[in-house]
Amino acid sequence: MSETKLHFQLPENLNTEKLIAVLGEHLSLQAASRESSLKKFYDSFDWRLFCAGVLCEFVQSKSACELRLLNLQNGQILASENLHEVPLFADQFRDEAVRSKLASLLEMRALMPLASLKCQALHINVLDKEQKTTVRLLVKNYETLPAQVHIQAIRGYGKAAKRLSRLLEKELALKVVKKSLLECALEREGRQSNDYSSKLNIRLEPTTRADIACKYIYITMLRIIRANEAGTIGDVDSEFLHDLRVAIRRTRSGLSQLKNILPLQVTARYKAFFAWLGQITGAARDLDVYLLNFRDYKASLPVDMQNSLNPLYDFIQRKQIKAYQDLKAKLESSDYLSGLQAWQEYLNQSVAVNPPESEALQAIKQVADKRIFKVYHRVLKQAGAITESSPAEALHVVRKNCKKLRYLMEFFQSLYPEKEISGLIKALKHFQNILGNYQDYEVQEQTLKKFAVEMAEEQISVETFISMGVLVQNLQLKREQMRQNFAGSFAQFKQPANEAVFNALFASTG
Amino acid sequence: MTVIAAYNIKGGVGKTSTAVNLAHLASQKGYKTLLWDLDPQGASSYYFRIKPKIKGGGKQLIAGERELDDLIKGTDFDNLDMLPADFSFRNLDLVLDARKKPTQRLQKLLKPLKKEYDYIFLDCPPNISLLSEAVFEAADVLLSPIIPTTLSLRTLQQLKRFIKDNKLQNLKLLPFFSMADRRKKMHRDIMADLTEEHPELLETVIPYASDIERMGLERKPLGGFVTRSRSIEAYRGLWTEIESALF
Repeated sequence: MSETKLHFQLPENLNTEKLIAVLGEHLSLQAASRESSLKKFYDSFDWRLFCAGVLCEFVQSKSACELRLLNLQNGQILASENLHEVPLFADQFRDEAVRSKLASLLEMRALMPLASLKCQALHINVLDKEQKTTVRLLVKNYETLPAQVHIQAIRGYGKAAKRLSRLLEKELALKVVKKSLLECALEREGRQSNDYSSKLNIRLEPTTRADIACKYIYITMLRIIRANEAGTIGDVDSEFLHDLRVAIRRTRSGLSQLKNILPLQVTARYKAFFAWLGQITGAARDLDVYLLNFRDYKASLPVDMQNSLNPLYDFIQRKQIKAYQDLKAKLESSDYLSGLQAWQEYLNQSVAVNPPESEALQAIKQVADKRIFKVYHRVLKQAGAITESSPAEALHVVRKNCKKLRYLMEFFQSLYPEKEISGLIKALKHFQNILGNYQDYEVQEQTLKKFAVEMAEEQISVETFISMGVLVQNLQLKREQMRQNFAGSFAQFKQPANEAVFNALFASTG
Repeated sequence: MTVIAAYNIKGGVGKTSTAVNLAHLASQKGYKTLLWDLDPQGASSYYFRIKPKIKGGGKQLIAGERELDDLIKGTDFDNLDMLPADFSFRNLDLVLDARKKPTQRLQKLLKPLKKEYDYIFLDCPPNISLLSEAVFEAADVLLSPIIPTTLSLRTLQQLKRFIKDNKLQNLKLLPFFSMADRRKKMHRDIMADLTEEHPELLETVIPYASDIERMGLERKPLGGFVTRSRSIEAYRGLWTEIESALF
């Protein structure tokens, strides 16, 4: 038995009145209610709700203002809250179910409006001989979108729903709705769902010329930078600046590692430009990290000391606001705008037929093999030389090279068997976590000491400084723990199974 | 899930209007509610304009050959579903008698609906029979409307004795006055006497009112066609009393 089709679209030559007139010839109809509403769709900038199969809509009408979280596939309501304005962050919602669902999916990301639709809904009951409603019909007229007709079946009256469905499909030749309302609303805004992800997905052909492939990689990075500019300037949430900085770092890493492919003077100019970008975005990001970590900082202290740390939060927040103001000015400066514009124009230019750079014409796969294998061996050598007495600087160098290796593997991921390269990236990520945490804890210890000196000039209680002292001690302990974990983590990364895959994937021209 | 049976040995005391109006009130409060019309006369089904007929009749239903789930009909009101009556329900006693453990049968049939509904109302036919015993086993509350007449006193006493004799300790009996006419001296006197003798009687009194009579013409629960009236206020009061007696 075929499934009853429930959602249809009205063709242009059929309006609601005509539809009702035609249906009225076959069925006993009763107009139940009419209501205007405004529906707004929300998600994080990187579509976290959509990717988790959740739709967030805020519906405003005379009878209610409600935010609903729905299952994207079947429309089932997962949680809802009555409110007048949609808060920016998950922890600002009152309803426990809404708050916990959003917090687990959004984390630190803000909820942003995607698109809105004005709707006139007409509810019609289809009655039987006893004047009992056996099926409901909902006609929704949208601004600039074709009207939709939805059948709402009533339990125990499946036949009535089937009959109505048949009538709409066969007699009135209505087409089944294929696209979701979200897709339609986005299309109207010139967008599509999931149109941004911070994850790299660069599809390359192994035989593509290295200069063309490199430009493509840089264009991808540039798009990420552009996409995150407005959110960074507006300080919407901390992830805009984070993603912007990762794209800058990746570009810098590419420019310094993929040598002899693009002209030397171009590489030199933009290495300096992106180094400058890295530098001007650093302060605001560091402060974001302290604010994001603050809950953990507090939790690491004895309960009776936790609240005395609050003045530190206020101090960091003041600095963060100032840092963002400075950053905004820089990102709106002609140095930034013209620098990035020139980079974009350069990347969009066709490559030279016979470039003088020695590796420009090589197949990108060859270049990738060689570079990845080289950096991999460098990491093995440097990490292998670390002993218990090695200075922190030595670990820092290993960390930087691991990052380079990671970026290269991510740029060229599509050139290798998916399962194998994903496995290697995962193993590397694990090793990087130890190195990254080690470095972060050290920087945080130093910065907190620096903050304490600056805060000493303000009227701040002794308890706050004592709490900060305990916090620094905790960070020190954690850093030592990371140092102890280094050898085990490295052994895991360099294990023969991983080495064999590295050799199999990259040793061909290495 | 709480099962509330509207029951009295005597007929014409307002059982159906009690079940219909309280089920509607519960559903309006957002509770998922089911009303099961067990009376072959099908008055509850009539009020909701639902055909008093079920596939396979009472025999297949009691035998468990048909899932209750497949027989449920959505009413015209949100959160309120109905299991309609069937004329074959007049023989439910015979059907039950043919089964093992007949008095536990209804309880067993209702078990799968536990997760889906907050409240299940049973609109029971009048008399004391095997079906009523099965209702007593299945219900958490026996809601018994009583018209303030001398005969009613007897039926309430009979019911209390039956509950005691059959050791139905888990069944909460909640009697209340129904179809009461305060203009009649006899009604006033009996209500005063009975309340003293039977302190379990609920305080709310459902009046004899023309809008309750109108339910048959409108074919809707009271809340479907009046927003404010003495009778609907009385049903609201009754529901509040029942809710507080439950929790």
